[in-house]
Amino acid sequence: MTLPPGFQFSQASLQDYVDCPRRFQLRYLLALQWPAVQAEPVEEHEQRMVLGQAFHRMVQQRLVGLPEEAIARAASNAELLRWWQSFLAYRPITAFCGDQPGTWMRGEYMLAGGVGGHRLVAKYDVLSVAATGQVTILDWKTSTKRTPDDALRERLQTRVYPFLAVQAGAHLNGDRPIDPSHVTLVYWFPEAPGSPARIAYGPEQYAADHRYLTDLIGLIALAEGDGFPMTQDESRCRFCVYRSYCDRGSTAGRLDELIAAWDLGAAPEDIDLDFEQIGEIAF
Amino acid sequence: METITAYALTPEQLDVVQMPLGGPKAAGSRIYLEGPAGTGKTTAGVARLYHMLAAGIPADQVLVLTPQRTLAQPYVDALRRPDRPSGGEPTIATVGGLARRMVDLFWPLVAQDAGFGDPDARPSFLTLETAQYHIARVVGPLVDREGYFESVTIDRHRLYGQILDNLNKSAVVGFAATEISDRLKGAWMGEQSQARVYDQAQACATAFRAYCLQHNLLDFSLQMAIFAEHLWQEPLCRDYLTSSYTHLIVDNVEEDTPVAHDILIEWLGTAHSALVILDQGAGYRSFLGADPKGARMLGDLCDVHVTFTQSFVISPTMAALGDTLSRALRPSPAGTHAVAPADPVAEDVEPQPFSVVGTDDASVATLDPTEVLHFASHRFHPQMLDWVAAEVHRLIDQAGVTPGEIVVLAPFLTDALRYSLAYRLEQLDIPVRSHRPSRALRDEPATQTLLTFAALIHPSWGIVPSKYDVAYALMVAITGMDLIRAQLLAEIVYRPHAGEPELTSFHAIRPEIQERITFMYGERYEALRTWIGACSCDAAPLDHVLARLFGEVLSQPGFGFHGDSDAGRIVAMVIESVRKFRWVVQDLALDRALGHEYLAMVKEGVIAAQYLQPWQEEPKDAVLLAPAYTFLLANRPVDVQFWLNVGGQGWWERLYQPLTHPYVLSRRWAPGRLWTDAEEFALRQETMARLVLGLIRRCRHSLYLGLSDLSEQGYEQEGVLLRAFQRVLRRA
Ligand code: SF4
Repeated sequence: MTLPPGFQFSQASLQDYVDCPRRFQLRYLLALQWPAVQAEPVEEHEQRMVLGQAFHRMVQQRLVGLPEEAIARAASNAELLRWWQSFLAYRPITAFCGDQPGTWMRGEYMLAGGVGGHRLVAKYDVLSVAATGQVTILDWKTSTKRTPDDALRERLQTRVYPFLAVQAGAHLNGDRPIDPSHVTLVYWFPEAPGSPARIAYGPEQYAADHRYLTDLIGLIALAEGDGFPMTQDESRCRFCVYRSYCDRGSTAGRLDELIAAWDLGAAPEDIDLDFEQIGEIAF
Repeated sequence: METITAYALTPEQLDVVQMPLGGPKAAGSRIYLEGPAGTGKTTAGVARLYHMLAAGIPADQVLVLTPQRTLAQPYVDALRRPDRPSGGEPTIATVGGLARRMVDLFWPLVAQDAGFGDPDARPSFLTLETAQYHIARVVGPLVDREGYFESVTIDRHRLYGQILDNLNKSAVVGFAATEISDRLKGAWMGEQSQARVYDQAQACATAFRAYCLQHNLLDFSLQMAIFAEHLWQEPLCRDYLTSSYTHLIVDNVEEDTPVAHDILIEWLGTAHSALVILDQGAGYRSFLGADPKGARMLGDLCDVHVTFTQSFVISPTMAALGDTLSRALRPSPAGTHAVAPADPVAEDVEPQPFSVVGTDDASVATLDPTEVLHFASHRFHPQMLDWVAAEVHRLIDQAGVTPGEIVVLAPFLTDALRYSLAYRLEQLDIPVRSHRPSRALRDEPATQTLLTFAALIHPSWGIVPSKYDVAYALMVAITGMDLIRAQLLAEIVYRPHAGEPELTSFHAIRPEIQERITFMYGERYEALRTWIGACSCDAAPLDHVLARLFGEVLSQPGFGFHGDSDAGRIVAMVIESVRKFRWVVQDLALDRALGHEYLAMVKEGVIAAQYLQPWQEEPKDAVLLAPAYTFLLANRPVDVQFWLNVGGQGWWERLYQPLTHPYVLSRRWAPGRLWTDAEEFALRQETMARLVLGLIRRCRHSLYLGLSDLSEQGYEQEGVLLRAFQRVLRRA
């Protein structure tokens, strides 16, 4: 089974493959829509997604220059307001990216590069490049619990984001190659604002990630029908919408059993990776 | 430069591609490129985009704007090629899409000034579907209780659609939403009763706008108005856009609206480079507010003007046919309509300088255009359809044309016509696809099944499905159960009482009947019934309940949706529709549960009336059946076109729109100027000429005309287009 024309890999799709090759096949190759519940209580799951999106938007509003008070007024939800107050108290952007003149910085920024003959894309919550060539990647994690560092290090996002910053970010550094040892990835948790996860990068890791991602993408691109087996870890199926399709149970797992809500795979950056669809009037 | 060698470019295209990329005000970096369809303008645009990226222009500073998403496909495809340089991503958008994003992002900046009722709360963006719902709430009572639009015989939802359309026109043309009726009345010269209709349309638009402001709801018109009138005027937002995107590629600018042009005119002033592409003779979206004449103003701001004239698409003989036909369609100086003014909105359709690669003008003039024209006359409409199907079959079977290179077009494609033709082609084993599926979402069996169960799950709503509906739902829900068994089962177990539906147990049925139904189906029914009984769903949103029902029962082994990807897709759309409905309705004071309201709206045809879009937009190798404008706006040339009902008036008529007028509400129409019969005639003539020329320029080899003396409805027909073709044949 070949990849659809123009297919772009992302950390979320690669994570899907690593978690369960069948899920990758169903979601991206067959584009199978399967609207079952992903996690229970579904109301709480939805609320977490909505709050996560709202927080991302508030930070983006700050980055484009909206006054902080105006942004705070729109935070009608108490939890969101608390997150925002943590954000203002800890000021993670300044804390991690610095405020030196000449620093380039964007929110919701996309990078894309070629790996193994295919395109790999990432959307960064915040990406900054200082005049010194120091690159900081900030990612907001709005789960209720602070994800342990070990779990974070295992995520594809932790490989893809710094890798792509080095591979595709030279134009942000005055067309000079980005030195992997100048790259830092920071996960910041509004629920645990004082304990961010700070992950340093380096040339060995970059080389290892390059090999790993090239092999992984090559493996997926060459896989035929049997190349997408179901995961042997059936606990994953409890948080997968395809569980009835795969005959792997009927009811969804509970949110509080997860390490973090973002383990569900629907990472915010994948929600609008595609080009917008609005603005057309259908007659 | 290796990246653009993937495109086989002519020297003219290469010139455009390699023009300076500029800095502010750099000479030669603002290019205005025009030409008829098929002359390679978009290919040049895509190649220039590649050139820009290869030359080191940061991709994230590039904005590609098209008036609708389908027209951006060549750019999307190009950007997804793996050989593209690494870096940022260009943005591909419509002006409407940008408007929505900016309103979402900069909302706190304008909510108060724009007059929203709760500026500290988030805005809710309406889809076409949810806008219909809200306008029905506002306008429905005026129609029902105040007798609005009594003199107008038109489907209720089209009436709502025209009120929304008036608001959209005010936003994209750039006049106050309170001026709609004055503009319409100022051009009207018929009976006075129509003035009352326009006043009522205005009252409805004004009431709907006030309602939206009060509830923080933004339909398309309000998104555009807020963007153009408030955000674009805000330095923070404007600077954000103009400094983020310093390189513009604007394709099919003739299909965009006056307000979009106004914004682009200002944007061009600060852009480092710009490529503005105009398709001559087009303007097919005029009824949506497109302003091809206004688009030319963008050319005044560009320092380089290029015109492509050589078609890469059509054969020389086809070019000759287009030329001859457009002459036959234009009012002759000696003819009866010599005084008719030109269409005030559209571009002149006067044949533009146009040639075909590898030929010269003189050789085209000597060609016989009828060589590419094929037709046969029939008395009855079905005979014409038989002929079309037979010809399509012959082309595929004997002439080696692939099905994907054939389209069958009609000005309006009714469901009956589409069905009749699709049936004939399928009988001949010819793959067929259509611009949309044959059923609306609410008519899909999976949808009906879900909604029946929604009523059964919520007996307190007091919605009592018919026995047949319950039997049908059981048949769909339980794998293998036929309608006879399902009806027998429903007859016994479905016991509505006291105005509430109720399902009773299979175990209570007499054994001999159980046996007829079979125990296997009985057990599945019991599992379903038990789930429904145990569902503590009253407080849960309907979309959540349906997702559980789907995942926990209906898609499990032994149930109808198990392993069924089509059902999954349809159920996903229904759940999405319910969710969006909930998001924009949850703050209103309703006199019934929100899910109940949703079901009632589906029944009324307000909700879930849209047609499913196939998940994969890539063309399959199948004969396409489509309305002519849909095909034009997909902008994909084909080898062979069939035009149906060429003798009919459909090619010449425009939609009946008693509450609006796309041309009077355009920017080209001076308020107060009367819309006369002469204008109407000229408009129709020019619109048809533009349409048929646009089609011919997207037809490589052969054009087949389907002719019948009698129309689909049995009326004699000899329309304007048929007479034009007769003139072409006489001249040949
Ligand atoms: S249900 Fe389990 S096996 Fe099936 S796709 Fe999901 S994770 Fe993979």
